[in-house]
Parts: sequence; C-alpha cells; structure tokens
Amino acid sequence: MHNINPSIKAGTVTIAAIVIAFLFDPLALLLYIGWTIAITLLFGRVPIRKYLLYLLPFTMFAIGMLVSTLLFAKTPENPSVTQQFLFWELPKETVQDALALAIRVFSYSTLSLLFVLTTDKVAFILSLIQQCRVSPKLAYGILAGYRFLPLLKDELTTIRSAHLIRGAKTNTSRFSRYKQYTIPLLASAIRKAERTAIAMESKGFTGERDRTFYRTYHTNWIDWIFAIVMLGAIILCIIVSKSFQ
Amino acid sequence: MKSWRMKDIVVMAALAVVFGIVYLLFLPVNVVMMGLIGPIGTDIIFGVWFLVSIVAAYIIQKPGVALVSETIAGVVEVLIGSSVGPIIILSAIVQGLGAEAAFAITRYRSYHVLVLMGAGVGAAITSFIWGYFRGGFVALDPSYVVLMLIVRIISGAVISGLIGKAISEALAKTGTLTSFPLGKMYRQRKAG
Repeated sequence: MHNINPSIKAGTVTIAAIVIAFLFDPLALLLYIGWTIAITLLFGRVPIRKYLLYLLPFTMFAIGMLVSTLLFAKTPENPSVTQQFLFWELPKETVQDALALAIRVFSYSTLSLLFVLTTDKVAFILSLIQQCRVSPKLAYGILAGYRFLPLLKDELTTIRSAHLIRGAKTNTSRFSRYKQYTIPLLASAIRKAERTAIAMESKGFTGERDRTFYRTYHTNWIDWIFAIVMLGAIILCIIVSKSFQ
Repeated sequence: MKSWRMKDIVVMAALAVVFGIVYLLFLPVNVVMMGLIGPIGTDIIFGVWFLVSIVAAYIIQKPGVALVSETIAGVVEVLIGSSVGPIIILSAIVQGLGAEAAFAITRYRSYHVLVLMGAGVGAAITSFIWGYFRGGFVALDPSYVVLMLIVRIISGAVISGLIGKAISEALAKTGTLTSFPLGKMYRQRKAG
C-alpha cells in the first residue's frame, strides 16, 4: 500500500468519492466501507488502535449529520409510513435519507484515511510533479511553504515572549488574542517566504520542467490494478446489495 | 501563471499553510455549530474557508492567485493530515474558481471592497453547488436549502470579503508587503 504511486492513489480515492456522491443505496455503501477499512488495515500495515483514533472525529461528524438531517428533513411524501428509530417513531423516508447521508459521510472518511495513513507527504508532492505534470516551480514552492509548519509554532512562542517582555496585555479576551497573534504570525511568515524564494533562486532553482530528481517515481501495473480493484469494488458492492433486495 | 515570481509562489504557499491550519481548526467548530443548529450552522461560518483566496489575491494581485492559493491550502490540509482526504483539494479548487471568477470579471484591475466581497460570494455559490451534490442536500427541505444558500452567501461576503480585506490591510501596515502590489498601494495612499 505504501508503495503505490501517490498520484494514482489520490486519483483513485477522489474518483471513488465522486462516484459515491451519486450512490444512495445504504447497503452498498456499508459494504464499500467495510471493503475500504479491510484494504487499509490488511495492506496498509496500519495499527488498528491508530486507525480507530483517527476515525473517531469522523464518527462524531457522521452522527452530527444524522441528527441534523433527521431534524431538518424535507416533508416526506408518505408521512404515515413510519419506522421505529431508537425511541422515536419517525417517517420511514426521513430515516432512510438520514441514514444514507450519514453512511456516505462515513465512507468519505474511510477513503480519506486510506490515503492519509499510507502516503508519505513529500512523496505525494514529488509524484505530482513527475506524474501529473504539476509545475516544479509551484510544487517546490508548496514544499517550501510546508516546511514553515513547525517553524510557525516557534514563531508563536517568540511573539508571545515579545509581548510579555514589553508588557503587552496578555489576559485579554480570546478574540482579541487571536488578532494579537495572527498579524505578526502572518507578517513573519511572509518575510520568511520572501527570503526562502530568494535563497532558492540564488542556488540556481529555475523551476524549469527538464530538471532531474534525486527521488524518482514511476507507475507500474500494480498501481493500475489497485485503481481498477478499488473502483471495481464499488460496482461489486452495488450488485451484491441489489441481490439482497 | 507565467508572470508569477518565485516570491509570489512561496508567499502564497506560506499564507496557505497558515490558513490551512486555521481551516483545520475550524472543522471541530463546524461540528459543534452543526450539532447545535443543524446544517445551517456550517453555512454561518463557511466564509472562513475562502479567506486565503481573498487575502492572497488582494496582496499579490495577479491572475490565478485566488484559485491557486485556495488549492494550495487544500493540499496543505491534506499534508497536515486532514481527515477529509484528497477530496478536499477538489473542494478547494471549486471554491477557488468561484473567488477567481469575481476577480476575472474586473480583469484583475479592481480590488475594491465590493470585488473582494464578490469573490467571497462567488466562492459561496460554487461551493454550495458542489456541496449540494457531495453533501446530499437533496434530502433536506427545499426552502431550508435556499435559506442555507443565502446564509452562506452572506458569510462569504462578510467573513471572507470584509475580514479578508481587514487582515490584508493590517499586514500592509506592518510594512512586510512593500514588494507586493498591496504594499505599494498602501504606500501611495499614505504618501498622497
């Protein structure tokens, strides 16, 4: 799983998500969720505990979606056809719509986790240049910006100390504290970005396409099999679900 | 894209990283809002997710910046480990296109406050169409869906348009933007 070309993996997951957007059959979606989780755990060498931890926020999101759809659903065509849902008697249509929606949100999450937990971030960007013809200028710019991430935390500490030492009010409200930190943080990020850009150019980075790479990425038949199997499974899930009805 | 300097790109990426974090921080807020007042809770704060388009386009003032900065923010969210996955890049592109359209209409000549708000509205509309299919708004009451759209448009205009403008101008005041169009605009205004 970790060795599959990141661009193809991202493409497959995205296409699968788009197809799912047009799928309203809850059983087929559930089957596909099971399939995605199985693939991630079996071939992705992801520890179950870590997986569950990552899945937790999405589960909450899906439940939120379920509750809000139940509360704000459109008026059903046959309100008399009701169904027991936990403790309430609700129109059957509403319950089905809400369940389908929550399951769909959940299936997006499992697809995302399949990508996020098995992909090296830098490899993803480098593969975007090499397979998807993204401009190196843009891609390396993004990588440079991404490297600021850990620096931002240090910067925040610096700003806080600077405020303290100069006797700025620190016990202000949460909102004004955001204002107090955001502008200096952005300003220093922009200064740093300008310096980095100059450094890149002075070291001979031109951003042309005919550059060489230390790490090269290729696509081979395994990547395509992965794509076909993942997308084919959707069709399979629909067929299996139909045969149950 | 040819007219972009390396500096423009890295600054765009740096902005995208900062706003990418902001975007991720707002995801749990979103869940709380949704839990409290339903799907419309998302729309109230939705303008937050277009901020980088408006800020970056206002600072750099070149064609394509609104679209690409939002896209980079989406990529950064994936890199940080957003839970929403690579699909978020597509959502970002859709939002960026909406914002970009507003700047394209003025042929990238005007960065008046109304244009900035228009960019927020554009992003609100495209993101709503995208959300309609992805989020399955079909299941909701049609009049409620219209209300959601209106709230989102207002949020786009106010949060991303007005607050985005305020952030950019506060940055110009610090003097960090002297080599960018907004910084130059600010200096001229101060001098004249």
